[in-house]
Amino acid sequence: MSATPWRRAAFWVGIAVWALPFAPLFLWPFAGSWLFPAPLPTVWGDRAWSYLLSPGARVGPALLNSLSLASAVSIVAVLLGLPAGRTLALARLRAGGLAYWIFLLPAIVPAQAAAFGLHATFLRLGLADQWLGVALAHLVPVLPYVVITLAGVFANYDVSYEQQAQTLGAGGWMRFRWVTLPLILPGLAVAGLYAFLISWSQVLLTLLIGGGAVTTLPMLLLAFVNSGDHALAAALALVLLGPAFLVLGLATRLARAPGALGPGGRIA
Amino acid sequence: MSSLKVSALALALALSACAPVAPSPAPPTEAGATTGTGDSPPGYAGQAWDDILAEARGQTVDFYMWGGSDVINRWISGPVAEHVFTTYGVTLNLVPVSDAPEFINKVLSEKQAGRTAGSVDLMWVNGENFRTLREGELAYGPWAGFLPNSALVDWSDPSVANDFGYPVDAYESPYGKAQFVMIYDTARVPEPPRTVANLLAWIRANPGRFAYAAPPDFTGSAFVRHVCYHVAGGYEPLLGAFDAQVFAQKVAPCFEQLQALEASLWRAGETYPESRARMQDLFANGEIDFDMAYNPAEASSLIAQGRYPATARTFVFDEGTIANTHYLAIAFNAGDKAGAMVVANALLSPELQLSKADPSGWGDLTVLDPQRLPVEWSDRFAALPRGPATLSDAELSARRLPELQSDWLAAIEAGWIEHVLQK
Repeated sequence: MSATPWRRAAFWVGIAVWALPFAPLFLWPFAGSWLFPAPLPTVWGDRAWSYLLSPGARVGPALLNSLSLASAVSIVAVLLGLPAGRTLALARLRAGGLAYWIFLLPAIVPAQAAAFGLHATFLRLGLADQWLGVALAHLVPVLPYVVITLAGVFANYDVSYEQQAQTLGAGGWMRFRWVTLPLILPGLAVAGLYAFLISWSQVLLTLLIGGGAVTTLPMLLLAFVNSGDHALAAALALVLLGPAFLVLGLATRLARAPGALGPGGRIA
Repeated sequence: MSSLKVSALALALALSACAPVAPSPAPPTEAGATTGTGDSPPGYAGQAWDDILAEARGQTVDFYMWGGSDVINRWISGPVAEHVFTTYGVTLNLVPVSDAPEFINKVLSEKQAGRTAGSVDLMWVNGENFRTLREGELAYGPWAGFLPNSALVDWSDPSVANDFGYPVDAYESPYGKAQFVMIYDTARVPEPPRTVANLLAWIRANPGRFAYAAPPDFTGSAFVRHVCYHVAGGYEPLLGAFDAQVFAQKVAPCFEQLQALEASLWRAGETYPESRARMQDLFANGEIDFDMAYNPAEASSLIAQGRYPATARTFVFDEGTIANTHYLAIAFNAGDKAGAMVVANALLSPELQLSKADPSGWGDLTVLDPQRLPVEWSDRFAALPRGPATLSDAELSARRLPELQSDWLAAIEAGWIEHVLQK
């Protein structure tokens, strides 16, 4: 390596400029008192954590709701998005462009616009205030990203691999398990990651459809951000960050499969 | 249905028979009262308070409230939930929201969808939100007068009987009192200006050191009303129903004053802090020299949390500051009305009102009338320690100004946006 010292210094300055704004996020949760112009908290304390760990803070149930919602929504979205993405990319539909835009629509229309109608419908169907209703509502903003990501994957996909396997006598499941899945796994992981993160950070739909009966982490976070309690907001943000990073790590691992297709392709 | 009720009553009686004797000096109203002072609430004709207690046992009350304060959340889900569970067998479930319209919209959509056993039981509201509930027929009632502990409230006090000028009519039960205070830091401003006129002069003499949150922020809007009271020569002309003529004559000059003041405000009034939270930040970080709050004990609580400097103090204007009451309402379709009433009654009990007023916790002013309390309780309220920045009850109550009706509030907020913000 021929990295000159000043180059290395520039690298670390760049890292610092990028990372410094995040430093308060890791300091605030442990700050007892942090008033301007002190560069660091003047008093350290555990007020935020002792509250978050108390049963009254309901962080446990909220974490469970957030995790179960995001996981279920990702799995269902990928299962639904897989055939949709494949068809959009490979089936040469007569109205392919139109279908593509229809799939994209929920991502373009502001969620607020759709949310109130959705709520009224879900109330009539008895889905409001239910975990199931919230999960279904999350699918609305999640699906477009999953479908488009997977359509991108299939755009670079060569069906002749499957045909080859078929010639060699492989059945439908075997073809999917040993040919299709390894090829698209990285794209699948990225689509799942999008789905997880979008559901994980959803506030408006959860609030409206769940009506407070289904409490998730971002809802707790919002209440403290609005009230300006930095210590609690930062502590909750850290709690929120953990699982998101775990899923990100998992997805990047899966996306590194050799010889497979990434999500970067364009549909024809 | 009725046999179920009877067996529930029998169970409740059996349970209360083996319940241990309450240790602390229980208020007489909780111990033996069988009926409240008012008529039976709708749906409970001919029933006594004991019947409501019996029905409430085993219910889960979903309490929708602003959840942005760990101190308040802790108090509700800790001591209050414990008290109502062990005493009445009612499970209290706190549902935190970031703004009251969230649950009001929820009740509204439940009404539109014709849902009968609704999910919202108890709601923490006042002012505009209560009016919305009443005018949309979203509030259950009248029920508040039926609570045994409502006898401890002075209903002849107009600031209790009217919620921002809107008659309460027993559709909500008082919960706590608030009074506007100004917050300052003695290390920066040793002698604060104690009248609105002097404050305005101070702002002009110290450009860039003062800000107020842009209405419709609750606190910023209250500050604007104080200036308007001052410019109108007192609140009296603005009381009663909205009058466009009086508004044009008395309030319009107030906007001119505030417009002229802009150049001396923080960032020369080009922008206003958008919320109370932002105001707290600016004050704590020394960018502005005054903050304001609706809870007179809030500054003390923020000092205790390390969020405000220990030298922060509060004052009220010599001409007085606006005071109001906050309340508990029950949704028209609440699934657990009896449980909600039992919780509201418990929150009105001397024990919980005292624990709520404790400055080491929430420090919210009580709605109970000391004259109506047994002496041992009024003594305990009087003996409450005060935070370092909290004014005495006497000083606060001697300087209380009434709130205006919501129509006035809305007109002043709209007028401020048109004549001050957009100019």
